Amino acid sequence: MIAAFSPFLALRYLLTRRINLLAMFGVTFAVWAMIVVNSVFTGFVSEIRTDVRRASPEMMLTDLPLDTGYEPLRAALEADTAVAATAPRLRHHGLLQPLRVPKGLQPRTEAAELNFDHMESGFALLLGIDPAREEAVTPLRQWVARSEEVFALHHVMLPPSTVLLDPDPDRRAQLLLPDATEWLARRRAGLAVDTPKSEYRSAWPGVLLGWRRAPYTPWLREGDPIDLLTAASVPTTDGTPQLRSHRVRVAFAGYFATGYRAFDETTALLPIETLRTMFGQDIHDPDSIDLVTDVAIRLQPGLSAHAITAARDRLQRAAQAVLPAGSAPCSVLDWQQQNTVFLSAVATEQAMMQFVLFVVMLVAAFVIYAVLHMMVVQKWKDIGILSALGGTPRAVGAVFLLCGVVVAVLGTALGTGLGTLSALSLNDANEWLFATTGLELFPRRLFDLQQVPVRLDPAWLVQVATGAIVFAVLVALFPARKAARMNPVQAFAHE
Amino acid sequence: MSTPVLAAANVTKSYRLGKREIPVLRGVDLALMPGERVALLGASGAGKSTLLHVLGLLDAPTSGQVLFDGRPVHDLPVAERARLRHEHTGFVFQFYHLIPELTALQNVLLARMMATSTLAYWRTRGAARAAAMDLLAQVGLQDRLHHRPSELSGGERQRVAIARALLAEPKVVLADEPTGNLDSATAAGVVELMFSIQQQRGLAFLLVTHNEDLARRCDRIVRMRDGVVQGEPART
Repeated sequence: MIAAFSPFLALRYLLTRRINLLAMFGVTFAVWAMIVVNSVFTGFVSEIRTDVRRASPEMMLTDLPLDTGYEPLRAALEADTAVAATAPRLRHHGLLQPLRVPKGLQPRTEAAELNFDHMESGFALLLGIDPAREEAVTPLRQWVARSEEVFALHHVMLPPSTVLLDPDPDRRAQLLLPDATEWLARRRAGLAVDTPKSEYRSAWPGVLLGWRRAPYTPWLREGDPIDLLTAASVPTTDGTPQLRSHRVRVAFAGYFATGYRAFDETTALLPIETLRTMFGQDIHDPDSIDLVTDVAIRLQPGLSAHAITAARDRLQRAAQAVLPAGSAPCSVLDWQQQNTVFLSAVATEQAMMQFVLFVVMLVAAFVIYAVLHMMVVQKWKDIGILSALGGTPRAVGAVFLLCGVVVAVLGTALGTGLGTLSALSLNDANEWLFATTGLELFPRRLFDLQQVPVRLDPAWLVQVATGAIVFAVLVALFPARKAARMNPVQAFAHE
Repeated sequence: MSTPVLAAANVTKSYRLGKREIPVLRGVDLALMPGERVALLGASGAGKSTLLHVLGLLDAPTSGQVLFDGRPVHDLPVAERARLRHEHTGFVFQFYHLIPELTALQNVLLARMMATSTLAYWRTRGAARAAAMDLLAQVGLQDRLHHRPSELSGGERQRVAIARALLAEPKVVLADEPTGNLDSATAAGVVELMFSIQQQRGLAFLLVTHNEDLARRCDRIVRMRDGVVQGEPART
């Protein structure tokens, strides 16, 4: 039972002491911050995960020995009922050097001071793919189509590449550009063209670049020749490794945009046969190996998490069985494991952000404690009066606890309402601010997003509201207990 | 002979100051009969207020007993002592001790809210309000109901405190120098009011005072010195 004087007096104390507003607004601010910051961060994380997922195959067989061929692995993997499709991949590093560089726009970095962290040098992670097979495991066409949207966000009108739309599967496999396009590109680059335009047939394999390279090569036009320079250590006849460099001419075929920043910044897609040939595995040589460093895998749709885990283990065993005896263990990674470092960094960042928000809540709780404690100290005479009138220690403590409860509930309700409203109108506010002042709260272009990705989770709202109230009430218990334990005689002893 | 409504039997009270034990009451015997008006006289530090607090169950004796209607009550559980204090004892203090955030009416009503649940009080709030207004009218404050203590004079504040002490219809009123902070004219008015109500209601009245004239108007004078009752023997 709560004695009638406890809520009565608590309400009077709250209404007559403006400092209580400070405690209430402290809770309001903490709850508001938790809701707004978390909803934006959750939205960003969700977008980031979607981008990473879009850029990664569902599963990937990797850590394969050198000179591993695709065909035996394909047969072993596709024999599993969980596998829908596989695609070969060959990864290597290289330098891309456009032949036609307008004067004054040459890269500032010299070859002798290569910066492998920067695209300006032309350094690229080369990913050899079989376009037809790749399309079965990743949304390759979507990557290419998406580049148009991304460029539009940056006010650049650039239609997507058409190399994947060529009706001839052989030309598509080589990512060849239309004949006339390559013929014109040759002329632009000042290269000799002996064949008339109508009889010319494209010969340069196409290369698709991540759209984030575009700012460094803005003059590149479809079909422009690019020299691809790479090197690899190959064993000689006497067994000692020797570094051999390779150069091949490819044609710029357009851009792709997965949305995953690291992938779009560094990767260049080119026909797998082109890379294999550079490593001495000519497609026309019957003894050549259909070289792969990884195999991308798409699973059957609708598999449970348990079934996916089981499939991963099975596929690893099946692939290992195909590899030469004594090979180091290969790995089969799901899309999250393929990007563990990045996703862990994002998760850590989110955890840190939540910790910071928790500290904000801690400060708000401390304000409640300080305000209530001050009230108890200032009201020690009142506490004596209440005891003299017959108030039990518990009921006296309840006066101050109820003050804390009201502050917590009102602060939380206000914070939840304002937080929800702020989160829902964040994009409008951002638009208005940009239109009025040219400033943005959240620079959308930095993240290539149409709008601020707000994700308001009702479960989070409930958690924050409940947590804030419980936390504030727990904190209010301390001054309430102090009030309940005060000796009423002390109130009258020092007059 | 009737039973004292409130009595102290060989009550001692001492406080600890560091390692030192400071005795304040040294075996006090005192009885307050129903309807009796007793003055407790003594110099500062004689232990008058401490005895008042012990008798009002605000403080526990170090040894001895406090008896209410012949029943020992000093060692009851804290909630039970609070209930007893609420139902049977009214306090009037020298410094009024009103709650500054409340109006005169609310200060008086507070006494009715002490042992009642919120719901029960809500149901009977009309009757409680009428009783409080009636009491405030009796003490001459019918026009000052909605004034806060800061808007009232010293005499008016003490009248509010008297009304508050009486609302729960106690059997005993313990008054600790109730006129000590008032000018003589105001004090005389307050004393008249207290004594007339005491007579009307047949209350037992223990009045702590330094004022010999005021003490002489009581049925009995009990003098205290160094924590011991002197002079007139206590009736136990």
